[in-house]
Amino acid sequence: MSATRIVITGMGAVTGFGFEWQTLWEKMLGAEHCVRPWQPDDLQEASFAVRYAAPVDMSLLPEKLHSHAAWTLPLEKRSRFGWVAATQAVNDSGLQPEQLRGAAVLCASGAPQHMLADMLLTAAPDGAAPGWQHLMPRAGQVNADGSLRQSNDRLARVIADDLGCEGPVINISSACAGASQAIGNAFQMIRRGEVSVALAGGADSVLNLDTMAALYLLGAASGEQRWGADLCRPFDRDRSGLIAGEGGGFVVLESLEHALARGATPYAEVLGFGSSLDAYKVTAPQPEGRGAALAMQAALDDAGLRPQQIDLINAHGTSTPLNDVAETLAIKSVFAEHKHYQALAVSANKSQFGHLIAAAGAPECIVTALACLNDLVTPTVNLHDADEQCDLDYCAGQAVSRRVDYALSNSFGFGGLNTSLALGKYREHGQ
Amino acid sequence: MNRAIYLHAAAVLNTAGSECADLLGTPRSAQPLAFDTRRLAFALPTPRLASDLFDRKIQRSVEPQGLRLLHCAARLAPSLAALQLPASRVALTAAIPEVDAPSPCWDAVQAIIEQPHKQLGQLLANTPPLHALTLLNSSVMAYVAEALDCHGPMGGFCSQDNAGLDALIEASQQIGERHADAALVVSSSPNLTPALYLREPDQANEPVFGEGAAALLLASTPPADTTHVLRVAGFARGYSADPQRSLAVGQRVIDQALSLEKLRVGDVEQVVGNCADGQLMKLLEAFPREIRSTRAMTGELGASGLLTEVALTLHLSHETTATPGYTLLVSHTRAGHWGALLLSSETMEKHA
Repeated sequence: MSATRIVITGMGAVTGFGFEWQTLWEKMLGAEHCVRPWQPDDLQEASFAVRYAAPVDMSLLPEKLHSHAAWTLPLEKRSRFGWVAATQAVNDSGLQPEQLRGAAVLCASGAPQHMLADMLLTAAPDGAAPGWQHLMPRAGQVNADGSLRQSNDRLARVIADDLGCEGPVINISSACAGASQAIGNAFQMIRRGEVSVALAGGADSVLNLDTMAALYLLGAASGEQRWGADLCRPFDRDRSGLIAGEGGGFVVLESLEHALARGATPYAEVLGFGSSLDAYKVTAPQPEGRGAALAMQAALDDAGLRPQQIDLINAHGTSTPLNDVAETLAIKSVFAEHKHYQALAVSANKSQFGHLIAAAGAPECIVTALACLNDLVTPTVNLHDADEQCDLDYCAGQAVSRRVDYALSNSFGFGGLNTSLALGKYREHGQ
Repeated sequence: MNRAIYLHAAAVLNTAGSECADLLGTPRSAQPLAFDTRRLAFALPTPRLASDLFDRKIQRSVEPQGLRLLHCAARLAPSLAALQLPASRVALTAAIPEVDAPSPCWDAVQAIIEQPHKQLGQLLANTPPLHALTLLNSSVMAYVAEALDCHGPMGGFCSQDNAGLDALIEASQQIGERHADAALVVSSSPNLTPALYLREPDQANEPVFGEGAAALLLASTPPADTTHVLRVAGFARGYSADPQRSLAVGQRVIDQALSLEKLRVGDVEQVVGNCADGQLMKLLEAFPREIRSTRAMTGELGASGLLTEVALTLHLSHETTATPGYTLLVSHTRAGHWGALLLSSETMEKHA
């Protein structure tokens, strides 16, 4: 690999905690979560099995963002969140428009969000089977903000158009590994010299009837009622499935040379990226975590790090029965030498802001970068009684102050698409 | 790139046929769309999957675009197996459009019509779980990985027509940087649905869409069974939706793709691109020979368009009359993406 160093110089996150990464970090260190009661907009009655989520709270929108074009242009909801997160990241970086011209934009934006109202336009007037032929004469009624009008890569393009980016504009589609792949691919593009600056991340919102029904039917989303809003409990014996969040996250990546030349101060350094495929079952992770281990090992190899150098793993930690055991086993296999897994801090951000699906890897990368910067690890909340197969130090309940020189951030996608990002504390004179 | 990348095999599926040679046949006429007879397109019947590779449930649960992709991927299984590589050294990259109306949507519509008094949440709770899988195109990648035993690096792309090039570049980089020794690159066009047309800002210049799929097998070693090889020699990407900047970006992308081999457009034997794209033609006006395109045979194939052209280039490079030389494939999407791919057709002696 080349000696080019790649650093994070700007961050933007929109989550249930709000619209700024500073708020996200503060609330997470305070062991808060933003899960609350939720029902799909399409439903008038409380018949839906999934009752909790971590939606974006628009009442938290800061005044300076009220006039952002994301709120007025026809866009899917997730794209609005993503665009705002991208703007925040660029503003945070201090990059000027002329410095963005050659930049790449890499964005994961998940599966289309189908509006039930649009789909009902396919209904036949005579009660026959629904079909597209019935929709075409009613095309004028199709919602401008829905997936039938908004292509999946709209967010990536709207960001590039807004910022005048003329580098590669890439829409990523690898399920819950999407944003992590976007950041990993952006890192690789800078390292290869294809671009000097990249804006990478993702946005998603599955908080609609269509997608949440699918996630519930697959056994992924929790319909548990026992714990109230405290039901996202990764690695706990009583975990029952994922709790969806929504929002977006973007990071500005630059070559260190480019960053220093303009006087930027890096938050952290991106050191490596690895990905893999489970090739096991579409509905379940490989039980021993084989694919997850391959991705983590690939990230370590790519970064030139030894397992013993890792201090923190920001786990995928979905709170699903299968993932959390498989990920624990994967960590134990990669960090087996001298039982280094016993010395690791493992943290599951989804316990605090839910699962952002395609976007998940972006705010989690931001939290990992902040851990490296501040030597603080955010907690896994709602973890009271660890599963006997989940026997690592998950930083249960409260933030941990400890040295974080190197960290991995894991994102594993539905169908066994695995990614791991290796991050390190930024040091002026290299790793 | 740190090492050479060769194209080993290709599989296509489109209205011209399922063999690359079919793309050299006589163009057929586009037909009226079933849901809008005023519009013409190249629609394709849903293919049957090989039952020895795929569970029969997949045939029932995956959307047509995914089935087309799986059909092509399956045909590369023998070539991949012949490489005898560990599964962890085989990468998989995919260019898959998102599904515009997966089965759960149709089920919901039908259920609401039939039982309007019933609570919607209860209706959806009775949807067969397998149908829920169709929501996610990562399921299709997972099926390919499982059937063809790919455990290596992965990448999924969805940048409309440019996604095929994104997937091919990512696969090449994974091999070039030694993260993998071979890679499957799989792609599909979107299903023909109203979304394709409702998203089009300019109905006057609406293309004739087609349905299809293409898959490629790349490896770090040249194929053993041929004297002619096709090597990935360069690539580049860019974007501009600004009419004032688009040509400059397109020129930069072409120059960048040619730069590794120190070429100019005039040095290239063949150029592949959409002859109906005015900006593209302006950039290539100095090219002295005819510009090749299979669009008349297939319609616009979206994410699988460029890979279909690569598959034909590979086929042509294997012909006994093939002469060494470069092929430059240039893509320009209506959204503003520019992409260029340089392939080098070579004889084995060159690498001996």
